[in-house]
Amino acid sequence: MIELEDIQKRYVLGGETVTALDHVNLTVGDHEYVSIIGPSGSGKSTLMNIIGCLDAADGGVYRLDGVDIARYSQRQLAAIRGRKIGFVFQQFNLLQKLTAYENVELPLIYQGVSEKERRVRVGEALSRVGLGQRMHHRPNQLSGGQQQRVAVARAVVTRPSIILADEPTGNLDSKTTVEIMDMLEELHAQGNAIVLITHNPEIAARAPRCVHIRDGRLSEVEPGGSRAVEGGGA
Amino acid sequence: MKQSIKMALSSILSNKMRSFLTVLGVIIGVVAVVVLSSLGEGAMDSVTGQIEDLGANLMQVTVKTDRYTGIDLDNLASLADGETISAVSPVLSQSVTAKSTLDTYDCTLEGVGASYFYIRQLEVEQGVTVGELDNDLRLPVCVIGVKVADRLFGTRDVVGQSVSVRGYDLRIVGVLEEQGSSMIISDDEKIIIPFTLAQRMFGSTSITSFYASGASEDVMDQAEQRLRRFVSARVSDPDDDFSLTSQSAVLDMMDEVTATLTTLITGIAGIALLVGGIGIMNIMLVSVTERTREIGIRKAIGAPRSAILMQFLVEAIVLSVAGALIGLAVSTALLMALRGPMGIPTLAVSPGSATLALTFAVCIGVLFGIYPANKASKLNPIEALRHE
Repeated sequence: MIELEDIQKRYVLGGETVTALDHVNLTVGDHEYVSIIGPSGSGKSTLMNIIGCLDAADGGVYRLDGVDIARYSQRQLAAIRGRKIGFVFQQFNLLQKLTAYENVELPLIYQGVSEKERRVRVGEALSRVGLGQRMHHRPNQLSGGQQQRVAVARAVVTRPSIILADEPTGNLDSKTTVEIMDMLEELHAQGNAIVLITHNPEIAARAPRCVHIRDGRLSEVEPGGSRAVEGGGA
Repeated sequence: MKQSIKMALSSILSNKMRSFLTVLGVIIGVVAVVVLSSLGEGAMDSVTGQIEDLGANLMQVTVKTDRYTGIDLDNLASLADGETISAVSPVLSQSVTAKSTLDTYDCTLEGVGASYFYIRQLEVEQGVTVGELDNDLRLPVCVIGVKVADRLFGTRDVVGQSVSVRGYDLRIVGVLEEQGSSMIISDDEKIIIPFTLAQRMFGSTSITSFYASGASEDVMDQAEQRLRRFVSARVSDPDDDFSLTSQSAVLDMMDEVTATLTTLITGIAGIALLVGGIGIMNIMLVSVTERTREIGIRKAIGAPRSAILMQFLVEAIVLSVAGALIGLAVSTALLMALRGPMGIPTLAVSPGSATLALTFAVCIGVLFGIYPANKASKLNPIEALRHE
């Protein structure tokens, strides 16, 4: 459960203050699948960084599963990233020197999960993304789609509260895009909450709920396609 | 921890050439330190052993003045009281050319008293030593070192043969046991004759040099005092005219030399390993920059600062310890190869220097690894992820 209340974020860029997030309110439920769509520079990356606990807001409150994350130390935030959030990036961001198995295993190592349990959970996660047979390949021996599947496996292996996907299909062709999107929907169907960030309206439209971001402001897009009230969704 | 070491090893092995070049500094540093200090220690042990072999409780007096000294055989003999000084022997040394029927050889001729062999703890391999009677009767006899025998006769079986020195035909009555190569005096290259004969040969009347041996280790101080009193009374300037060398004084000096050498080597060690450490820090900093994105990914998937810090720190320590171990292996091989040429068969890596090198290596790994590791752990994950 993600609750953003009145979140603000500003940057100083070349002596000028840029407002990246302007009093943003957003709630994502435990099993919800939300897409956030916006052009580049709209503040969607900043939003993702804040939701992903990689960055802290300048104002407002962010509650993750009911707890204000401002109360956490750096160390605890690292643990929260590991346990509650599963990242899927546009560039896959796999460690090239590690095999698919080792990449998926890594977050569990940081959580101190025992080797025996790691083996079970990594096997499970890789099977869920359909890569049970290729777990000992390195990223450069895998296709783009396969690499993104490994990244998805790495995101779900920790059983996170939310999967945060930032342009997950941005580097993929249309066929693999469909595969990855199908897979995300399947994960949603299995009960995972997903926040998908994209600039592609087609991709965004596949989500049951779509939020538009522009100049740091959010607006809910009704399933019909019309736009709701400014700052909605709280 | 196990994971950190595994990660460090895989990262080091994935860039073998660079890792090797990085640790080369540490390897060279360790080899320099270990080989130098082991050589120093080996040489010191060897020299100390030779000094001890010179004879137990040995003291040597050399009068520097050419004038008449007032020391003669009679008063010298009275010096040995049995309580502090057990034996004395005058010595008269000259460089000479010795001839046999076969060859000539430049060597040292030494005229000695009968106690000389006891004081110096010299034994003959064949025949007998130069004795009391030879001195009393000034007999033209000699005991020769093995090298002299080899050079003049081509054999060591020479008792009964004669050598000619300065017109004297000397009958060989004994051959000294081989002493082996020595850095101080080689008795293998000596011809030893009765002191009285040497005096006549060189036309000298007084005694300017003699050996004495203390009755026991406990009375060396008294023995030394007795020697000083005796000689002081017989030279014109007691402060300057003679020198007294005792074995313990030489050993003390050796200890001082060893201490100085150790300090010196520790200094070299410090500098060499410092240079090696800087090499490691340099490459770790490069590594952190190269792996910025990796660090960002690790942080995004939940790595705490401590895990990143540990990963890079362990890598630096593994590098420096690997360097130290390789250095020790190279040193061992090098020292074994040097045994023959140096003439020190016991030459080996001294435990002290090995411990020093390893301790230093770990310290260097931590010291020079902590800065890059800390830098890595403090990276902002967002910026790190954006890094190409």
